[in-house]
Amino acid sequence: MSKAIKMIATIAAILAITWFYVNPTDAGSWTKSELRILEELSIYSLPPLPPDVSNAVAQNIDAARFGHSLFFDKRMSANRLVSCATCHSPEKQFSDGLPKGRGIGLSDRNTRTIVGSAYSPWQYWDGRKDSQWSQALSPLEDPDEHGGNRMYYARFISEDPEYRRVYESLFGSLSHFNDKKRFPDAAGPIGNPAVFSAWENMTTKDRHMVNIVFANIGKVLAAYQRLIIPGESKFDYYVEAVLQNNNDKAETIFTKQEIRGLRLFINEAKCTDCHNGPLFTNNEFHNTGNLSFPGEMPDRGRINGVRKVLADPFNCLGPYSDDPTRNCPELTFVRKGAELIGAMRTPTLRNLEGTAPFGHKGQFQTLGQVLEQYNDSPLAMIGHNEVENPLGLSTSELESIEAFLNTLNSPLTTSPEWLNPPRLGISSIAVLQ
Amino acid sequence: MHKVMIFLLITMSSTIFSSETTSITRSGYFHISYQSELEPITINQIHNWVLHIETPEGDPVSGAKVSVSGGMPLHNHGLPTDPKVTTDLGRGKYKLEGLRFHMRGYWELIVIIEIQGRRDTGIVKLNI
Ligand code: HEC
Ligand code: HEC
Repeated sequence: MSKAIKMIATIAAILAITWFYVNPTDAGSWTKSELRILEELSIYSLPPLPPDVSNAVAQNIDAARFGHSLFFDKRMSANRLVSCATCHSPEKQFSDGLPKGRGIGLSDRNTRTIVGSAYSPWQYWDGRKDSQWSQALSPLEDPDEHGGNRMYYARFISEDPEYRRVYESLFGSLSHFNDKKRFPDAAGPIGNPAVFSAWENMTTKDRHMVNIVFANIGKVLAAYQRLIIPGESKFDYYVEAVLQNNNDKAETIFTKQEIRGLRLFINEAKCTDCHNGPLFTNNEFHNTGNLSFPGEMPDRGRINGVRKVLADPFNCLGPYSDDPTRNCPELTFVRKGAELIGAMRTPTLRNLEGTAPFGHKGQFQTLGQVLEQYNDSPLAMIGHNEVENPLGLSTSELESIEAFLNTLNSPLTTSPEWLNPPRLGISSIAVLQ
Repeated sequence: MHKVMIFLLITMSSTIFSSETTSITRSGYFHISYQSELEPITINQIHNWVLHIETPEGDPVSGAKVSVSGGMPLHNHGLPTDPKVTTDLGRGKYKLEGLRFHMRGYWELIVIIEIQGRRDTGIVKLNI
């Protein structure tokens, strides 16, 4: 067979295949493969929250009520002024609208939203925690956040009659920790030297007792946070109409600019490489070459996070997990290596409204600035920028992507009573305002 | 001409657009096929496979040391997890645990097989 025939045949074949895959259908001129991506991004593809077998009370409504109360309780801090809600405010998508979290001091990074985060196998920008119950323990002992210590929190739960009652109904008998020789006022492995040495001087058994209560505090906070899930946005209504082939309806939902932005988002701009699935995140770690906060060293991100999560006594393989089989595939098969230098966990793009500034250090004041960063794709300060090629989009194209991102805001599916401090407590706790 | 077209269409569509469930190792010592516990394979979900290794004659190869790596060659990055062969299930079957794919697109899984001083590498290609 001559070369010419082969060439023609190849070209014909490519054309035929391209036609088959790129052939626009009726639905708003989206192709079949684009429709598949739209469906995959829509909230209707969000599966039920997978169980967390490492947390026995993950699905327990009483635990969620207990967690709800603790989440807003400012007594859970060294200065009685900080609660989880200080930085994760329900009015701000469970974030704070600040460059970095502000509690007793300043957090190291930008506050991530809690909305939908229960779906992630990893918590934090660097994934240094592998469950929400284990995550919740960290801010409580961080000197810049709640600034307390685990001995204080365990005693606090045991001394509050209402908390003690609920605790015992969920987890069984709770010590009074009233032997101050065994259980000093303040003790924990993190924090100032006095607190640390008090902890070191406790027996292994007593430390374990305190750790169990501390872990259970994390578990009820996680049970509450599992209820914080995003609902349907304008984008989801658009996709629904498109999938129903209801073009007229679709066009009343999305403007031309928003459609154009969506088209760029899933195609040329390659955003769905990382911001994919119904929460617009793959929850994986990527170096996108973001500059650090002015005057700060670049953040090493996941390369440090992976070391921390493997060494964490509260991880899925540790003694405080409730899974008797210790079936922890994410941790067991966790990736290491140079690709993780400067890599951060992809954030969700749902409900960005009110959460500016953006980026792991709050480096970007506006969505426009984030998009410009992708458009230029600078060299990473450390590691390798995975988004290798500048997008080279025009200003009007970037604006349409921004317009599209603004269609992803939605009310939560969470019922309103969970979004306010429990005024009457679990049943009667007064929450300090 | 017609036949050539059809032939090309079939081979091209299978290399460009769909995944191959069997592959032959570089030196031709082994045939590799796999079965995924997650079917169809979707993104962002950790799951396991059973690898099936046999000789070109179709005899199962058991007792081999099998390891995998891989990634997205077009994106120049590796796998998001470090999957491992955890169990030799016998009759040429091996349990491969901890796979996850975090983007749609073309992926390659490199399978290294060592048995009795023979070492060979195969590439499992898949489009997700
Ligand atoms: C002082 C502010 C502050 C307080 C108080 C605080 N957080 Fe956070 N939170 C942050 C910051 C900052 C991050 C991101 C830090 C990082 O990734 O390194 C974060 C991250 C998280 C995440 C991870 C979300 C994700 O997708 O990665 C969860 C969950 C969370 N916090 C829950 C809590 C809970 C529960 C409490 C109360 C026990 C709490 N936070 C108290 C600032 C705070
Ligand atoms: C290679 C993976 C990847 C790609 C491709 C990607 N992103 Fe991101 N995105 C990330 C990561 C990781 C972060 C966090 C980066 C950081 O703070 O260092 C992020 C952050 C963001 C943020 C800030 C959100 C917040 O809460 O701080 C926005 C907005 C965003 N991306 C939009 C986009 C858009 C639009 C595109 C397409 C033009 C895109 N991303 C492409 C991985 C990616």
